[in-house]
Amino acid sequence: MKSFRHLPFLSLSLLGTLGFLAVPAHGQKTIELLNVSYDPTRELYVDFNSAFAKYWQAKTGDHVTVKQSHGGSGKQARAVIDGLQADVVTLALAGDIDALYDFAKLVPQDWQKRLPQNSAPYTSTIVLLVRKGNPKGIKDWDDLVKPGLSVITPNPKTSGGARWNYLAAWEYAKRKGGSEDAAKQFVAALYKNVPVLDSGARGSTTTFVQRGIGDVLISWENEAFLALKEFGADQFEIVVPSLSILAEPPVTVVDKVVKKKGTEAVARAYLEYLYSDEGQDIAGRNFYRPRSPQAAAKYAAQFPQIALFTIDEAFGGWTKAQKTHFADGGVFDQIYVK
Amino acid sequence: MLTKKYASVLLAFASLAVGSSGRLAAASNDELQALREEIQQLEQKLRVLERKQELKDDDAAAAAKTAPKITIGDNGFTLASADAANSIRLRGLVQLDSRIFFNDGGVVNRTFALRRARLIFEGTFAKNYSFQIVPEFGGGSATAATTPGILDANLGIKISPQLQFKIGKFKSPVGLELLQSDSWTFFDERSVVSLLVPNRDLGIQASGDVFHSTLNYTVGVFNGVADGATSTNADFDNDKDVVGRLFFTPLKNSAGSALQGLGFGIAGSFGREKTASGHTSGFRTDGQQVLFSYLPTVIDDGQSWRVSPQLDYRYGSFGLMGEYVRSTINVRPSATGVKTELTNKAGQLSLGYVLTGEDSSYAGVVPASNFDFAAGTWGAFEVVARVANLKIDDNAFPTFASTATNADKVQTAGLGLNWYLTKTVALKIDYYKAHFGFPAAAPAVSGAQVLRQDENAFITRFQVSF
Repeated sequence: MKSFRHLPFLSLSLLGTLGFLAVPAHGQKTIELLNVSYDPTRELYVDFNSAFAKYWQAKTGDHVTVKQSHGGSGKQARAVIDGLQADVVTLALAGDIDALYDFAKLVPQDWQKRLPQNSAPYTSTIVLLVRKGNPKGIKDWDDLVKPGLSVITPNPKTSGGARWNYLAAWEYAKRKGGSEDAAKQFVAALYKNVPVLDSGARGSTTTFVQRGIGDVLISWENEAFLALKEFGADQFEIVVPSLSILAEPPVTVVDKVVKKKGTEAVARAYLEYLYSDEGQDIAGRNFYRPRSPQAAAKYAAQFPQIALFTIDEAFGGWTKAQKTHFADGGVFDQIYVK
Repeated sequence: MLTKKYASVLLAFASLAVGSSGRLAAASNDELQALREEIQQLEQKLRVLERKQELKDDDAAAAAKTAPKITIGDNGFTLASADAANSIRLRGLVQLDSRIFFNDGGVVNRTFALRRARLIFEGTFAKNYSFQIVPEFGGGSATAATTPGILDANLGIKISPQLQFKIGKFKSPVGLELLQSDSWTFFDERSVVSLLVPNRDLGIQASGDVFHSTLNYTVGVFNGVADGATSTNADFDNDKDVVGRLFFTPLKNSAGSALQGLGFGIAGSFGREKTASGHTSGFRTDGQQVLFSYLPTVIDDGQSWRVSPQLDYRYGSFGLMGEYVRSTINVRPSATGVKTELTNKAGQLSLGYVLTGEDSSYAGVVPASNFDFAAGTWGAFEVVARVANLKIDDNAFPTFASTATNADKVQTAGLGLNWYLTKTVALKIDYYKAHFGFPAAAPAVSGAQVLRQDENAFITRFQVSF
């Protein structure tokens, strides 16, 4: 009888063929990215993700779906360190992305140099949102420490926006009072007027705008404009403080994740597209201050003129500010009593 | 004069009255304003409390999403990650038998037997990778104690529903009755058909459901084991067996069709064996008594193959399973003896009907309500019946098997009642009858005492399976 000695090996070949057939046909790819972002950027990335998907399909033929995760910037950074498989992070401040290096080596130490303008494709600042007619007569930071005034701001332990808020108030008080002690007393008095600490900026907006709590919301500028747009300029108004901080929310690819998932090229292209003409226009449309001169000129009238300082000028950078004010046992822990 | 005086007084009083009411009105307005402010403050406090509770609830919900889940129930103990991508599950099976033989002249001892006692460790990692480890502590035979060992140990990789891989030790995909879980067969003991198919073997297989899950295919490469045998973790020759199975359920997606539960297929194996381990150590009756075994000098040398058409049909409470196996081996009586091809055949047809109305199922009957005497609920009852036969190749005698101590065929019949107290606990009561046939040259009285009369076995099994 004919020998079938080779039949087992032919069968292994059949198994291999079956495996090959199970793989999608070569050609169009479907790629999924996860963008872990801070709280108020939902609307921005709905617009941007749609634009990028169209751009990428036209360029490569591949379908890109970008899933979003939003929350307090610090909380989001912690989630990525703990294993959330973010292809890119678009967080509120550089310190939170530094933590991805410090605690998990998910990004290189010099991540901020990889994209223009310190990897911050747009900027924002901190303003005060009050109820229409400004019934409490709030004009500047000083008014926020008046007894009986209720201030809404998120928790600096979890929210990047909250940290920008805190540092803006601190620097104002330091310049006015002339010392760190004066600033500390000022910020302590301010937080005594805070009845609810949300974990993120969007939560605070919800507290102030939708739950009707508080007299003033210390807010991202883009978030304040969004509140006017969504809830009506007849409900709220923006009070521009005399001094505020230049907030530079940075973005980066999470190297360890994209290398594992094979999404490095498209993740890099996704962030680079934030700097494109369309990306900058989307930023401006969503009340972020664009970096490109053309978009900045287009949207200049939309943004108030404010005297701005940077975190480097006033605090020596995020690493120092984080350690001094927001680390466990830092100044915030000293002044805030739950 | 007096009138002027009175008028002055009146005027004074009037002025006083008007002034007082103005001050009263002003005082009331102030109070009202104070009350309004107080109400606004209270309203703010209430909103703050509500918002704080809302944030607490959100935090609790977020924590619940990432918290691992622990479940204990009919499916065992499961510890799973929040996203269910990773899990570890512990299950078990214990079967305790009572075996009574009658009209056998006292040849076979009545006995209790721990038929199976196993723990089943299963798990999933990263959603698509699975494992199973099953140590068996129970005795597999009523006549010989079994050393505890690993019954199954395998890894699974799921590419898609159409393509999955399994690697390790697991049931070879030939016998329909054999592939059914040990917990949920119609009868305590599988029929003689399962004697001719491989049991557990070591290898790698690919399988999947295609054509809208109406066709299940399985193809694998294994070490190769004898009829009814389980792999001993080593192959005693260089050749491997190829095993394949196609099973159709053409109307699976036709809800309401009387044939929705119809399945039929064909399975087979092909290989080469080179040692004595390529043929069975013995065929056993339903009562687990040996009815046939080869001479100890017999070795295998050559191709072996099996083919098995099979059928399973379920319709409501009614279930039917049918199977035929043809198993061919090439053997020599000794290392230098003449090679002969032997073909053994077996077939079985089983029926079951769930008296209490639950659905009959290949995966077991699930009672609509558990047995609870106080509540007056009784679980589920199923009656089962089976006929089966096994025929040994006439060429096996006398060169390869003794005519004096072996039967060359057996015809069996069985009747049973299954009581599913819960999904986990069952009581099965079976009666088996086996009638033996002998080769032409067999003596008038068999040398094997158990074969001198029909086997009448009454096997009761108490089972916990979770």
